[in-house]
Amino acid sequence: MSERRIGVYVCQCGGNISDYVDVEQVVGAVANDPGVVVARTAMFTCSDATQQEIEADIREQQLDGLVVASCSPKLHTFTFREAARRAGLNPYEYTQVNIREQCSWTHTDDRTGATRKAMQLVRAGIARTRLTEPLEPTAVQTTPSALVIGGGVAGMRAAIGLADLGLGVFLVEREARLCGHTGELGELFPNAGTGSGLVARLLEQIRERPQIAVFTSAEVTAKSGTYGNYRAVIRAGEESIHAEIGQIIVATGFDSYEPAAGEYGYGIQGVLTLPEFRRMLDSREDLIVGGRKPESIAYVYCVGSRCEEHPYCSRFCCSAAVHASLLASDRVAGVRQYHLYRDMRTYGRNELMLSESRERGSLYLKFADGDPPEVTHDGQRLSVTVRDQLTGGDELTIPADLVVLVTGMVPQANDRLVKTLKLPVGGDGFFNEIHPKLRPVETVVDGVLIAGACQGPKTVAESVTSGLAAVSQTAAVLKRGVAELDPQIATVHASACSGCGACVEACPFGAISMIARDGGEVAQIDRAGCKGCGACAPVCGEDAIDLLGYTDGQVRAMIDALIQIPPTHPHLP
Amino acid sequence: MTALATVGGAALGDKLRALGAFDAETCMSCGICTATCPLGIDVLPRQLLRHAALGLEQRIRDEQEVVFSCLLCRACEQSCPAGVHIAQDIRLLRRWLLEQGGE
Repeated sequence: MSERRIGVYVCQCGGNISDYVDVEQVVGAVANDPGVVVARTAMFTCSDATQQEIEADIREQQLDGLVVASCSPKLHTFTFREAARRAGLNPYEYTQVNIREQCSWTHTDDRTGATRKAMQLVRAGIARTRLTEPLEPTAVQTTPSALVIGGGVAGMRAAIGLADLGLGVFLVEREARLCGHTGELGELFPNAGTGSGLVARLLEQIRERPQIAVFTSAEVTAKSGTYGNYRAVIRAGEESIHAEIGQIIVATGFDSYEPAAGEYGYGIQGVLTLPEFRRMLDSREDLIVGGRKPESIAYVYCVGSRCEEHPYCSRFCCSAAVHASLLASDRVAGVRQYHLYRDMRTYGRNELMLSESRERGSLYLKFADGDPPEVTHDGQRLSVTVRDQLTGGDELTIPADLVVLVTGMVPQANDRLVKTLKLPVGGDGFFNEIHPKLRPVETVVDGVLIAGACQGPKTVAESVTSGLAAVSQTAAVLKRGVAELDPQIATVHASACSGCGACVEACPFGAISMIARDGGEVAQIDRAGCKGCGACAPVCGEDAIDLLGYTDGQVRAMIDALIQIPPTHPHLP
Repeated sequence: MTALATVGGAALGDKLRALGAFDAETCMSCGICTATCPLGIDVLPRQLLRHAALGLEQRIRDEQEVVFSCLLCRACEQSCPAGVHIAQDIRLLRRWLLEQGGE
């Protein structure tokens, strides 16, 4: 009936499956399906021992197809593809059937039904496998250079890292010079050194590396091409530069939260944001407000943070405000400083600054969420009124010469770049990584990485770390010189193609073009550009497009198998 | 929520520091001191130190009986995570109160 030699393994998952699915019955039901030469159960199919048994079966029984009925394909597709590969079987001859999430875990109230459904799903998997073909990944040469967008610390450090690995770099900055927020800062924490000093060092290192091409007052306006080989258009004034690149690192940074007029008295003389206060401290040696040294400074924390519009915590601002208050103590001996906070988050080593500020006389007053302090000016003096939870909710009025609104980081408005690169934007407005722990700088867009505070609030050190992580992920692709792409992509049966062009319209990646053939036109798939999404297959009126691994024939065979009534069995109703 | 006090003016902390090493500002209001205080008086020592640190002079005057009832046993200091010299601070408050009374 079938010339295929298929091995079928039904997993018990140590009871996760076998408590609700009768796995022996499932094996019994499919053991005589056409093409099946091995069918058995296993306690844990993913265990090394069972994988070795599968490999032995593949070799000894000359299996040319493999079905494992176990958990979600998300968990173990690659596990068993690799087992197949080790035994000399093409990995794409493997089919995973999910009888855990789809049967035992979902139908704990119906063992008979769960077992019957498992039989149907396994039979469908076998039907698909009878029609599998060996597939080979597409190998593409990659371009050994990268585009870095954003000339702050993250982007600059990334550019230097890429250059040191022997890759060409196009570094593009929207402003007139490479600098970022860090370059405008004086003394930094937790250790000495200034922001402007750090940036000066980075600039020198960039100048020493001729393989970094810097474009300032410039923007990236277009991106095309396919994995490992992109073309970007850099617009600098009247000039357009076409850059050939293998990867893109987006390091466009953040904006500081700008309070609305009147928010905590913003707009009143003497009410400043934290960045404005830092500029005041960094621009001169002393600290003068209204022609004299201030006697009293009040800091209001969490302005524009942890609220409806910006529900997240920017993390750096507590520490930055405490640090600024220490700088102010250095400038004005005896200045009284009041910190009005919701929660102090001076994590890690920054905690030492908090202790130091207390020892130097800074006072900390805690206000409740939803009960913010009020900043007023009576014509004579600024004052801040707060109900301090640490004093039993007493209302206290603090006369102040200066009120500093401790503002956090907000996402930059970068609509054009988001559109050009199709950047994934999260609910908070920052760019999204694939996995916050394991793939922190990659995005769902192939070839586009993110680094620095465009991903979310970060300190200088964290921005540089993520910039260098993006360098390593770029090098991992570009230093090999060759990238391997998933072969499960669309393919055109040219003889059936009518040349209507409907698939060209349907492709979201621009990977289909029409080429001349036998006096007419037929569709052609760019193997590097196709992502295997399948959007083209159903719009083809001639059924001339198949998605390799999910061909029309395979899907039909699976449906036919699913609607077969499972064989009668004495234990089934 | 009704009590209104003014922080500032001539700072109590500075006056006390003129008398000795006053360090109530280092307190982080954790309340371990109150938990360990053998007297079990509500205001001792966390709130008293808080009022002193904030410079709420009238409050301290209202609470002088508490200031003088402290045993200076230093049980609180043993467990203070911020290392505040609580007994010394209370001694300074007593001296300040006495000097006030003498005026």
